Amino acid sequence: MTSITHRLAAIVAAVAAALAGAEAAAQAKDSVVIGWQSDIPSWDPTQRTSPDSQSIYKAVFDQPLDQAIDLSLKGHLAKSWKLAPDGLSVELEFRDDVVFHNGDKLTSEDFRYTFFERPKRGDKVDLANFWRNVTDIETPSPTRAVIKLSKPMPTAPQWLAFFCSYVLPKRYMESVGLDAFRDKPVGSGPYKVVDYQLGSRMVLERNDAYWGPKPAIRQVTIQVIKEASSRVSAIQAGQVDLTVNVPVREAERLGKEKGLAAQLRPITRVVLLQIRNDLGFADPNIRLALHHAIDKDAISRAFYNGAAVPLSVVATPGSPGHLQDFKFPHDPAKASAYLAKSGFGPDKPAKIKFASTNGHFPSDFEIARALVAMWKKVGIEAELETIEYAKYFELNRGHKLPEATLYSWDNASGDPEIFSGYLLNPNMPFSAWKGPEIGEKVVKLFGVVDYNERIAGYRAINREAVETGASVPLLQSVITVAHKDGLTYAPYGNGWILPQSMAWK
Amino acid sequence: MIATLLRIVLRRLLAAVPILVLVSMMLFGILRLLPVDPAAMSVPPNATREEIETVRRDMGLDRPIPEQYVRWALTLLRGDFGTSIHYRKPVGPLLAETLPATIELALAALVVAGFLGIGGGLGLFHVRGTWKAAVGDLGSTALMSIPSFLWAIILILIFAVAFRAMPVAGRLDMAFARPPGTGFLLLDAILAGRLDLLASAAKHLVLPAFALGLSFSPPIMRVLRSGLHDVYAEDYIRQARLRGLDEGRILIGHAARNAMLPTATLLGVQFGFLFGGTLLVEVLFSFPGMGGLMVEAVRNTDLPVIQAIGLTYCLVVLAVNAVTDIVCLLLDPRLRAN
Repeated sequence: MTSITHRLAAIVAAVAAALAGAEAAAQAKDSVVIGWQSDIPSWDPTQRTSPDSQSIYKAVFDQPLDQAIDLSLKGHLAKSWKLAPDGLSVELEFRDDVVFHNGDKLTSEDFRYTFFERPKRGDKVDLANFWRNVTDIETPSPTRAVIKLSKPMPTAPQWLAFFCSYVLPKRYMESVGLDAFRDKPVGSGPYKVVDYQLGSRMVLERNDAYWGPKPAIRQVTIQVIKEASSRVSAIQAGQVDLTVNVPVREAERLGKEKGLAAQLRPITRVVLLQIRNDLGFADPNIRLALHHAIDKDAISRAFYNGAAVPLSVVATPGSPGHLQDFKFPHDPAKASAYLAKSGFGPDKPAKIKFASTNGHFPSDFEIARALVAMWKKVGIEAELETIEYAKYFELNRGHKLPEATLYSWDNASGDPEIFSGYLLNPNMPFSAWKGPEIGEKVVKLFGVVDYNERIAGYRAINREAVETGASVPLLQSVITVAHKDGLTYAPYGNGWILPQSMAWK
Repeated sequence: MIATLLRIVLRRLLAAVPILVLVSMMLFGILRLLPVDPAAMSVPPNATREEIETVRRDMGLDRPIPEQYVRWALTLLRGDFGTSIHYRKPVGPLLAETLPATIELALAALVVAGFLGIGGGLGLFHVRGTWKAAVGDLGSTALMSIPSFLWAIILILIFAVAFRAMPVAGRLDMAFARPPGTGFLLLDAILAGRLDLLASAAKHLVLPAFALGLSFSPPIMRVLRSGLHDVYAEDYIRQARLRGLDEGRILIGHAARNAMLPTATLLGVQFGFLFGGTLLVEVLFSFPGMGGLMVEAVRNTDLPVIQAIGLTYCLVVLAVNAVTDIVCLLLDPRLRAN
């Protein structure tokens, strides 16, 4: 009987301890629990282009170059870098004091292995697409590497701090194989992976041997919470210390709650219309009328509580391609005048097809419906079709998108090539615009190596594209962050929420 | 009796083969006819048309659909579900990692639904003809009219946000790492002799199980009550009364067992629905089961994962039907005689 009583007491104690467990874990001052919106596709950070995963990858792995909070490029694993004047090679000088989590020293051989050997032997990694023009990587010394390219790659330095460009440990990967590496990843970043549960949780432990600034937080738990309303509940319940991408109105409400803080920060993500240069949009008057008819301020107020910044070019404020002084006005009268020039008006509307996802990014379909209403007022009749995100890819790659498509374009690098370049280069499957007037200029810019000349070129293109109706930017999107008010983090302009930048006050 | 059971299982297994083939053909065909391009989804934005075509060839998507199906079916027969487009790893281990969580959740929800349904059915029958029965009916209608996802939100708001007593996400508290073992956390915790782990896993299971189970309990209540009404019209109930047995004993000891047959069948059917219903509840509770995997797969047009999960759902439903038949056989000697 006594034994049963003891067992019952033990069970009750365990239940009580478990009930208190989550709360305690979330409140420990040398640890942080983050409610994150998605799982990573793999612990091989070179495998998939996954914007949401970058903050996690950057905690565990290192990139040759990095971006500062204001998105400017800076050295990281590579102390210095030099793009050759012809754009056909990049010299990198690596640090000598970097070791992987397993104790192996990081050398230029690891860089060569990641950026050249794996793609060349056919490993299915997205990194291979980005660095497809690499013909060789010379490693004259353990700290020096020279990337050789078959075509000029003016944005090579930017790509060294962008998607998939993480340096992996050659010796470890070759000894254990890819599957074992993905199960027990080894990087050189400020955190080590100590536990991973598919679709559920990642536990990271501070790497005390890290070569860079030591993170203030010892343990980081990333709890995957895919549903936005559940992330709101988790932060309200005190079960996570920080969460992201909660609905705008919820973020504002959470910010007013005792013990919580919330921010709505514009990031390098642009809500825009991807448009064609043919079909109903062959006439530039209609494209310009469509753009003038859009009240971006009203859309921002209605769907983002005014936090999303209206844009006049496809570049975010602070990024190199942005034009501070250029404004494309909301002017229904001008829109009507453009339409009248082509013989259209409310009585004889210009007809186009318009596609939008529903739920791919916040309020996408609602924005699309508002746009249709705005266009109708001036004499453009848009037939709105809802498409799945997966179907968008099918249509885009097959050049089958309709005249206009509402899309959200993420560009953590902030570089104009990955904004206007990708959207207007007719040779890229991603581009809906195939018009040669703008297209030829953009294609040329892909080969301009001089940074200042390239940026000046894109700034001119950005303006011309809008003035000729080749691009229709709408808003700079926002990231919402809600957190306990004792927790701080670095507000990166591209929306990264890096665990290594967090600290408790 | 064992021979009968074996015969039933064998018959079920044989019947499952054409069903599985049919379901797999439908699943495969419908997914291939959808206007989506998994090849385009699986490459980065700067991929060239040639690179997309190479990926399409690698995936076998350039072949005629019947040929694609035959190739897939043949690999399936070798126990290979293919390779995930999104995760770029074999689908089998992904299923193995998530299926136990979903089964555990569905079983827990079945226990909740069964407990509330059977308890409620007996209670409703016991108070038949009184105002309490009317209130009970109203309550069961209310339970049924609120869908599982809404129950999930309600339960989260009450028990996690307002009272801060229950967890919102995951299968274990942050302090615990998942133990090695079967993937069924309750079982693994017991096998490891870890009461703290068991309590934590149980705590994380409570709200999702109730969210799923609550709306499934009223049909059980009603079927049981209706069965009891029928049974009470039988002679042996009158004879039991004449023998002087009290009403409670008649209800539990005599009537309930005989009225349980349709209830057991319903529980089996309900399990199929519960298993399918885990999808939304798993997403809302960030419960790392097959539902979450399915949502991710649909988002990424990960056809091999969608096909594998679809087939798994089918297999589970067939297995549960077989188990239900066996339970019915055990409960009803007339079925065994037939």
